[in-house]
Amino acid sequence: MAEGEFYRAASPREAAGLLAQHGGAARVLAGGTDLMVAVNKRKFKPQVLIYLGDAGMSGISQEGDALLIGAATPLNEILASPLVADKAPLLATAIKQMASPAIRNAGTIGGNLANASPAADTATPLLVLGASLKLVGAKGEREVPLAEFFTGPGQSVLAADEIIAQVKVPAQSAEAKWAYRKVGKRKAQSLSVVSVAVYCPLSGGKVSGVAIALGAVAPTPLLATEAAGLLNGKALDEATIAAAAKAAAEATSPIDDARGTAWYRKRASEAVVKQLLTELAG
Amino acid sequence: MHTLELTVNGQTCRVEVGLKTTLLEVLRDKLYITSPKVGCNTGDCGTCSVLLDGVLVRSCITNALSVQGKSVTTLEGITEPGDIHPLQKAFHEHYGSQCGFCTPGMILASKALLDVNPSPTRDEVKQALSGNLCRCTGYVKIIDSVLAAADEMKS
Repeated sequence: MAEGEFYRAASPREAAGLLAQHGGAARVLAGGTDLMVAVNKRKFKPQVLIYLGDAGMSGISQEGDALLIGAATPLNEILASPLVADKAPLLATAIKQMASPAIRNAGTIGGNLANASPAADTATPLLVLGASLKLVGAKGEREVPLAEFFTGPGQSVLAADEIIAQVKVPAQSAEAKWAYRKVGKRKAQSLSVVSVAVYCPLSGGKVSGVAIALGAVAPTPLLATEAAGLLNGKALDEATIAAAAKAAAEATSPIDDARGTAWYRKRASEAVVKQLLTELAG
Repeated sequence: MHTLELTVNGQTCRVEVGLKTTLLEVLRDKLYITSPKVGCNTGDCGTCSVLLDGVLVRSCITNALSVQGKSVTTLEGITEPGDIHPLQKAFHEHYGSQCGFCTPGMILASKALLDVNPSPTRDEVKQALSGNLCRCTGYVKIIDSVLAAADEMKS
């Protein structure tokens, strides 16, 4: 019985080359926490798998003012990293609330982003921190801001012969305030109903360059740029916060699903943004 | 088919697997190691948990070919045959197991915790077991068992 081909890519470029060579038949495999669920549910029958675990795409380092996180780095390795705790605590806080320890040991940051779920929990902190992705294709590589990566549920700008090789995360400013909240059915191993990340650099008591991102309330993880615009240069008083929270909720376009209704998600978006900004103001 | 070589509980094994084969299928159906159970088969319930190079993973959603050359520990391998691990003793003494279906995963998740944190708080135990579902005990006695085992292992 033909059982397909299994490759262990030695580099991101080799993985991309294999993707190009096999056309649409090939898929990349890292931790398998999404892909193997689809296999077990018979939603996906692999014909060609390209394993990324030996492709030198794992690990965390610092380059100037940014963190470089290999796309195949397991989520728990990021959570345990002193470098991430120091330079991007917002990302660590979000990861701590993802799935369960065993899933975080296998699931990778690149996989969480490449699957392009609107509820991808690494996306919201990475969006507000201004992260970018190094995409490696068969013919070359490019850097894409995460804010331009997602195009729809399960859809991204990733070409058929491209993989995410690295996530670049600008370090948080030591003076900046930040907050993260995930609303799910329970604390552990639940998919977000709403998640919100706020990053709020301060200068002289006023906010400047604030960013708000919401998960699971739009076809893609969402940067609420209008809401953020209402905050910049202002003090975080009650009226400003209320206006920003309203604008953030207006930017959402949620759906009804098994986890929550669109009605609930829109209201929860406003409430959580308001909560977080109020916390930051206090 | 592809040849997979791995170490399970200290023994080198060689099996033939396909692209869809999971580590759980290798353990249960090819090696007849039956402590990891088939529960949800989607990574949610935790009863298939094993240690892969010492790290807790779900064998039901671990692609078999991705563990080539790696070392797997199941409940059967956490002690020498005939011995009983302090966690097993504590689960027995503190009624941490009722129907028993979740117990292998509970003990391996607990071992993964105690290996890196020998003196966990009650809250840390809860977090470490947050991905392991039990429908009998209500968890209280499981957590009691893990804390008792931690005490025993320190003394």
